[in-house]
Amino acid sequence: MKSLIVSGLMGAGLILSGAGTAQAQDCEIAVGSVLSITGSMAAIGSAIGDAGKLAIDHFNEAGGVNGCEVNFILRDDQGSPNVGVDAAKTLVEIEKVPVLLGAIQSGVSLPILTSVTVPAKVTQISCCSSAPSFTELAKEGGTQGYWFRTLPTDRPQAAVLATIAAEKGYKKIAVIHVNSDYGVSLATRFKEDAEKLGIEVTGVTPYNQEQASYRAEVNAALQAEPDALFLVAFPADGATVAREWISFGGSQNLILSNALRADEFVESVGAQYLENAYGIDNAQVEGESVEAFNTSWKDAKGSDPNGPGLHVMYDAAAVALLAMEQAGEADGTAIRDNIRKVTGGEGEAIYPGVEGFKKAKTLIAEGKPIRYVGATGPITFDENGDVTGPYLIYGVKDGELATLDRWDKARVDAALEKLQ
Amino acid sequence: MTGFAAYLVFFLIVALTYSIVVMGLNIQWGYTGLFNAGVVGFFAIGAYGTAILVGPDRTHLIGGFGLPFPLAVLGGMALCALAALIVGLATLRLREEYLAIATFGIAISIQLVALNFESLTGGAQGLVGLPRPLFGLFDSPASYNLFYLGVVAVMAGLVYWALETAVRSPWGRLLKAVREDETAARSLGRNPARVRLEVFVLGCVLMGLAGGLYVGFIGYVSPLDFLPILTFQIWAMLIVGGSGNNRGAIVGAVGVWALWAMSGLAISRLLPVAYQSQGGAIQVILIGLLIVLTLIFRPRGLIGEAESVSKHAD
Repeated sequence: MKSLIVSGLMGAGLILSGAGTAQAQDCEIAVGSVLSITGSMAAIGSAIGDAGKLAIDHFNEAGGVNGCEVNFILRDDQGSPNVGVDAAKTLVEIEKVPVLLGAIQSGVSLPILTSVTVPAKVTQISCCSSAPSFTELAKEGGTQGYWFRTLPTDRPQAAVLATIAAEKGYKKIAVIHVNSDYGVSLATRFKEDAEKLGIEVTGVTPYNQEQASYRAEVNAALQAEPDALFLVAFPADGATVAREWISFGGSQNLILSNALRADEFVESVGAQYLENAYGIDNAQVEGESVEAFNTSWKDAKGSDPNGPGLHVMYDAAAVALLAMEQAGEADGTAIRDNIRKVTGGEGEAIYPGVEGFKKAKTLIAEGKPIRYVGATGPITFDENGDVTGPYLIYGVKDGELATLDRWDKARVDAALEKLQ
Repeated sequence: MTGFAAYLVFFLIVALTYSIVVMGLNIQWGYTGLFNAGVVGFFAIGAYGTAILVGPDRTHLIGGFGLPFPLAVLGGMALCALAALIVGLATLRLREEYLAIATFGIAISIQLVALNFESLTGGAQGLVGLPRPLFGLFDSPASYNLFYLGVVAVMAGLVYWALETAVRSPWGRLLKAVREDETAARSLGRNPARVRLEVFVLGCVLMGLAGGLYVGFIGYVSPLDFLPILTFQIWAMLIVGGSGNNRGAIVGAVGVWALWAMSGLAISRLLPVAYQSQGGAIQVILIGLLIVLTLIFRPRGLIGEAESVSKHAD
């Protein structure tokens, strides 16, 4: 390990001298990942694993980390915390990974964090766990800084949605949300923020997933005759709720969560009923760095990167590898301490892809600062390991999903400031 | 201590915790013939009971009593006993498959209560930042894990010893009598309904004890920990190990959990990197296959029930 910095310099030297396919690696660094390949999240888990693998392939093609080839070890948690914790423990103790990517569900990521990664001083970066309990734990010092996540938390989303609702003049809003950590926390945040802005939240109704009808929930929410509905749901169930809401005479002033930005939802509800609807999503769909990711995904997989968790997973892996390169050693604590040096700040922008990573390696070797602008755009981690990013406001125009407005980071921060 | 040894300690903590659950199920099913398909529900009550009693005070939660860990575990077990008593009184007149369906439903209800009773259980967020007993006294996580393994092993040993003593007593023979022929047991002046209730509560309390130990080790609890799959894992452990035998229960817990956990390690080692995203599916198939093969070749489990023949039979 001691000669890593030297070999890193040499690796960079090779690239500088024009040997674009630097493969001179005689050492290996393991990067572990625990994702749901089978179980309730299986539909999205395997593609998320591919996104992580893509980042690692790109880095290896760019010459590896500190001259070492990165070996991606993916383990399945079967959607169960006990299996996930065990898989994480083997990765940390037997495979000696300095960084762990995952898991998808918060209920799996959290026990891994408290019982495996933090005690072993291994950095954990999740693509997809959105529960606010991580922020709570980080504030108490329970994560010791080893926890990061690349998806924006619900805090800013709720603030932006509530601010727009106030601007539109809604007075009484009902909330129906999916009963998961994602749904509960977004709904609770929204209620707090809306009430601060003088909007009455007439009721917060949870629903359990995958049921044929949500008539009872819809009726309960309709009782107080609200003039708008905030719906936190996934597309299939969300469509059922929205259809029943509208057919029972609920207001068409709908406020939609990020997961509902799907053609499937618009088609099964009917675009004509969604003209007054607006929703929020991470503004990860545009920009040069996002294009760079989309293109390389298409080259590798032959299809567009449509699916949850792909962009954020690529970024989780890329941030880990860049921090390792910057640190000069594959050590959990060193990775933790270098993640903020390669994101945010004033350094030169680094985009996803082989070329981007080559550039990053050269700059790091020269001792120049870099700033990773990822598949989800610019990334800045706060002291709790959370990111805030730009957002877009979507709606339905001419029967199709459309972007209505954009909120850059400054505007989001201003909205958050107002709600403090 | 790192590497495989550290992992082994970690693995054994979880496996021995499960072995307590399996012994609880064994006294119910293996000895008395009570088909409890709601194991995970009682495991959950023990875990949540402990978590609520041991957890730090939080403004948005009812719980957070900050009790010492052993007291909290006892509290969790007491809660389990109460729940088992209520469930037992309501359902124990049901026979086999009907009891299974009823207890299965109850376990799902318990999980849904945990998911929805937010001010008590933290809802979908779970309860975070639970203190791990005596964690501060150890200089490294590895030595702490070794200590905790000691705690779990002693508890599992105590449970084993107590159950062995119990099943060899006249009360233990009564359990088998109820299992084999309830009418005959009643004709001898025994009260099978009462025995069934006693055994049901006892087994569930052991499941609750294991739940408490699990919480102490992981430091976090959420509804995701208590999906019905865990009930089936526990059942697989009992059947593979050999129902009606407490040593079989322990061997089954360690063996099946090893298969479940370590097959993933083996696959990630053997499978080419390009196929890793298929590894999960292969693992699930492998687990199922090995359990089926065990049952074909050892239909009574790895260590089956010992023949119980009276010493006066010769």
